[in-house]
Amino acid sequence: MSTHSRQALVMIRTNLSSLPRRRAISISMILSVALVVCVLAGFLSMAKGFETALNGAGSPAVAVILGGGTNQETGSDIPASVIRTLGAMTGDLGVTRNADGQLVVSREIVVPVDMKQITNGAARTLALRGMDALGPSIRDGIGLSAGRYFTPGAREIVVGDRLASEFGLAVGDTVRLGAVDWTVAGHFSAHGSAFESEIWADLDAVRAAFDRQGQVQSLKLRLTDPAALKLLQDKVATITGTPLVVLSEADLYAAQSGRTAGLIRLFGWPLALLMAVGAAAGALNTMMSSVTDRTVEIATVRALGFSRLSAFLGTWVEAIVLAGAGGIVGLLASWLIFNGWQASTIGANNARMAFQLAVTPDVLVTSGLLGLAIGILGGALPAIAATRLPLTAALRARG
Amino acid sequence: MTENIAPYIVLSGVRKAYRIGGEMISIFSGLDLTIPQGDFVAVMGPSGSGKSTLLNMLAGIDSPDSGTLRIGTSRLDQMGEAARAAWRAHNMGIVFQFYNLLPMLSVAENVELPLLLKPLSRKERRLRVDKVLDLVGLAGRAKQYPALMSGGQQQRIGIARAIVSDPGLLLCDEPTGDLDRKSADEVLEMLRFLNRHLQKTIVMVTHDPQAALYARRTLHLDKGDFVEEKRAA
Repeated sequence: MSTHSRQALVMIRTNLSSLPRRRAISISMILSVALVVCVLAGFLSMAKGFETALNGAGSPAVAVILGGGTNQETGSDIPASVIRTLGAMTGDLGVTRNADGQLVVSREIVVPVDMKQITNGAARTLALRGMDALGPSIRDGIGLSAGRYFTPGAREIVVGDRLASEFGLAVGDTVRLGAVDWTVAGHFSAHGSAFESEIWADLDAVRAAFDRQGQVQSLKLRLTDPAALKLLQDKVATITGTPLVVLSEADLYAAQSGRTAGLIRLFGWPLALLMAVGAAAGALNTMMSSVTDRTVEIATVRALGFSRLSAFLGTWVEAIVLAGAGGIVGLLASWLIFNGWQASTIGANNARMAFQLAVTPDVLVTSGLLGLAIGILGGALPAIAATRLPLTAALRARG
Repeated sequence: MTENIAPYIVLSGVRKAYRIGGEMISIFSGLDLTIPQGDFVAVMGPSGSGKSTLLNMLAGIDSPDSGTLRIGTSRLDQMGEAARAAWRAHNMGIVFQFYNLLPMLSVAENVELPLLLKPLSRKERRLRVDKVLDLVGLAGRAKQYPALMSGGQQQRIGIARAIVSDPGLLLCDEPTGDLDRKSADEVLEMLRFLNRHLQKTIVMVTHDPQAALYARRTLHLDKGDFVEEKRAA
């Protein structure tokens, strides 16, 4: 080990060993860094959870056709003529066909409905999706967890597991949606994705109950292969009369999640950075206090011949260690508080979408790095100050 | 003994002034001093006489505005700060009034500090530390912490730290200023031993006439100049 390394290690060790002398201010620095890290991790885990919920809902093997020039289901309208034209197309459309040669497709509409939570009785707006009988089977990752799917034409619903537990919807229960009663036929699981925030029912039953006769907002089609989307887009482009958008279900949900997650991050990052500036100022104050506390020690070893670099590193590493400790505390707190926490927001179709906050490794790394940055920046100036201490302080001060 | 040996420390025409409150205060205006190798010099004088400034310059902590400051073959007045620090690490030990021990390090670790600046193995460092602790009468206390020890013992640790790298020069800043008489005499006896038996050149700043009696000669500094010199009987 070189003499420089030995000097640096001694300075780092003496700095860290003297921390108990500055217990209060060191703890305050740790807590302020922890708060910043925790807040940022909270926002990032919210964005990550939202993305996970929506991205999990979308499959690249499912195509979505929207009409009316929009790329969201809200505002989309697909005329019956388009559906007939599409159905009449022969040849390879890139879409799976059944044994009879018919396209595997589900016509769908989404209606916002109000339902009361069992926990606090508050009404929430949920998405009631009317679909053809093939609808559930077209989607990836969907499984019945209780009961059965709805019967075509019947006023029956299947609800996502998350909604079922939140609203206390047992199989066989009757709930009032709109002006009519519906029977809960089953529960479905979608691995926590956004689908679990929806209620599914037969298309015609929904249209009849909500006076939406003839309306179709989207078509879901099972692609023969994710790469077949381009072929379908080309075929659909030949249909004139109404602007149609063809995209994969994955892209549809990614676009939705990207907008909202971006908004969450847009709010979270500036807030966390502002707090980080405050924490860095606190770190600077803490480390200045540390340098003042150790003036004689630093000046003494410098008088013995220790380098300026060792004085710099001793103070700087102390700041980074304190910030690191704050980061760990903040990350632990964020993990305990946020990970798996149920949240909800207004998702597509103005309906509530529930999701779980996800404190993932990249959230931990990003937030932890911000905590370390506070120590690196906040500790740099005091570390420079430590190198500039007058050595005469060693000779005249009481050690 | 000292008179026949070549000069070790030479200050010639040294000038030093500080700016205080916009006014230049002259400390030395042409100070001359010669100290032979192996000498033990006590420097006395009233506050503000320049004792501390002299010690700081000898330690390479401060530098003269002009004039020559030579120790051994090294011109400290021509060195930059980093070079003076390196020179200090290899040629000089400092004994502080308030010991300046690092409380979070053990006795042995405190004494070892100057050796960390040298390319020595851990084993070599440990041997040297054991040797000097034995020399200052603290063998067996290596793993203790300074805070648990008396002032006299702490100053002996300070002396051990100052001599562990076997420097030719010891600078002592009021080494007994914080000690009772008995402890002070023990420390001074040790300095005398180091001077007489290990041929260390010692410059000691002190206010204590009793302490000065242990030196071979005493220089009185007043208003930046030496006004009197006494030799030990």
